[in-house]
Amino acid sequence: MSDEPPVIEVADLQKTYRTPFRRRKVVALRGINVLVRRGEIFGFLGPNGAGKTTTIRILMGLIAATGGTAKIFGETVPSRAARQRLGFLPEQPYFYDYLTVGELCDLAGRLFGVDAATRKRRADELIARVGLDRARTQNLKKFSKGMMQRAGLAQALMNDPDLVVLDEPMSGLDPIGRKEVRDLILELRERGKTVFFSSHILTDVEAISDRVAIVARGQVRAVGAPHELVGHTQLGVDVSLRLPEADPDAAAKSLAGDLDASAVRRADRQLTLALAGDADVDALLARGRELGARVLAVTPRFETLEDLFLRRIAEVDDPATTTPASAPRAEAAS
Amino acid sequence: MTASLGRMWALALNTFREAARIRVLYGILVLVVGANLFAVLLGEMSQHAEARVARDVGLAGISLFGSLTAIFLGVFLLYSEIQRRTIHAIVSKPIERWEFVVGKYLGMALILSVLVALFAVAMLALLAFQGIAISQAVAQAVLLAWMEVLTVAAIAVFFSSFSTPFLSGIFALALFALGRLTPDILAASESSKSTWVRATTRIALEIVPDLHLFGISGRSVDGAPVSVHGDFVSWGYVLTSCGYALAWIGGLLLIASLIFRRRDFV
Ligand SMILES: Nc1ncnc2c1ncn2[C@@H]1O[C@H](COP(=O)(O)OP(=O)(O)OP(=O)(O)O)[C@@H](O)[C@H]1O
Ligand SMILES: [Mg+2]
Repeated sequence: MSDEPPVIEVADLQKTYRTPFRRRKVVALRGINVLVRRGEIFGFLGPNGAGKTTTIRILMGLIAATGGTAKIFGETVPSRAARQRLGFLPEQPYFYDYLTVGELCDLAGRLFGVDAATRKRRADELIARVGLDRARTQNLKKFSKGMMQRAGLAQALMNDPDLVVLDEPMSGLDPIGRKEVRDLILELRERGKTVFFSSHILTDVEAISDRVAIVARGQVRAVGAPHELVGHTQLGVDVSLRLPEADPDAAAKSLAGDLDASAVRRADRQLTLALAGDADVDALLARGRELGARVLAVTPRFETLEDLFLRRIAEVDDPATTTPASAPRAEAAS
Repeated sequence: MTASLGRMWALALNTFREAARIRVLYGILVLVVGANLFAVLLGEMSQHAEARVARDVGLAGISLFGSLTAIFLGVFLLYSEIQRRTIHAIVSKPIERWEFVVGKYLGMALILSVLVALFAVAMLALLAFQGIAISQAVAQAVLLAWMEVLTVAAIAVFFSSFSTPFLSGIFALALFALGRLTPDILAASESSKSTWVRATTRIALEIVPDLHLFGISGRSVDGAPVSVHGDFVSWGYVLTSCGYALAWIGGLLLIASLIFRRRDFV
């Protein structure tokens, strides 16, 4: 473990797109740093336009970086040797639509240099695994978005890769499909593979990732295990009270005090107040007792991945709080 | 080495399959066979010239429609891979960019060869039907036309490695015309008084492939007039021309590959 290079090693990766004729520049990556270890499921999380696909395309050798380094299995990309050991599902994949899924897998296998017997066996296995058995005779042209995604997964695994890179593998799938893809990813880890996948669906990432990186505006804003990233910051306390039978409205009004309307929830006689972290909970409880209310629950509220995600992204949008981070500002020229 | 060939072959077969689904190709096939038939009917009317007309129309069909199809395929097949992003799942496999370019070209060459063969069979069948002897000259002319078509396909692939289908199509057509009409353009420019015009014409013609080498019937080679209807060229000439075609194809694909290697696929 200690001697072998990380499976993916991205340092200060930068990319500026140039539109060929209008000479317009778009800074997509401003110094991405990511390190993916062997055998882990790594979630690459970020809002639309964060630079997830751009990073992945550089790793896959589809586009060239304009700065920084990216290595897979210790080899600087683009590397044919590295690509031999990885499987890739592109974002919104599209394949030759005149092929069947079996033919697509066969083509992928040929390009990986897999022998005919193994190609046949693996294609059969994988097509069954992604649940396309019944669609084997159809052309991909007739495939739905979700079926195309599954076909893409099957062709990506034809070389029994050590690393699987999936760009938005759950997009376009229904809840069952998403569950199946999550299970597939977990199964790949079970078999010792490394999985790097991008998504902006938080629950999917949180549920299966060993570690995640949150990217926004072309920079990594946070990295770590989901439970490390969240759960430490106590955001506040939720206090639930049962209001007195006599004049509950007055009691509710008094207890809510000058709390923001969004922090007050009331259903009939049950009042829930979301207090800030530094609020005086004891005082509130005392006041509640005076008013004849009964305490139902006092629960600390920790930050969820979603809160963190939203907060980190909000920070990016507010330049005053943007951390000067590792990246030199590359957009000066424009 | 064999692995590299295997990958290119897989891409070539796939490209062949893709191209074989383009309906326009079948339209062109019908058109060319129809033109051959028409030539036969025309020949009937002009009595003595029947063989002449049938051969000329048949060969012109191979050369012209073969080349136009080559431009069409060369310009669109590469572009559509990028446009539809099917290329993403391909170049992310362990293949080199040049293998992709060569594989694509081989697939096109394969389908163009089938097309040229069908054109030729149609022509020969009609000649035979009319009882016209099939001379060695006709075989040589077909071989030369085939080389021309393959060269034009490489020209189209070269342009589409960096340009849009529309522009690539225009460039490739321009090069086809320039190459085809080299002797005529040269003759016209020599009569020009401006040395500047003469010089630029010479340079322009120098850097484009001499496609007229492949369609020499009715012209003169080394001062002697040649014709598929009579005294045609030697096999030496045919072989040299094949070598010339292969050299251009290799060179064009090499440059196309170098350009392709630097391209971003987004
Ligand atoms: N071909 C391109 N030309 C110019 N700009 C581009 C190009 N592709 C992407 N961009 C820009 O680069 C930035 C990052 O885009 P990217 O596709 O990497 O984001 P993403 O994180 O994958 O987003 P999504 O979740 O929507 O897929 C965006 O601002 C986008 O507009
Ligand atoms: Mg994306």
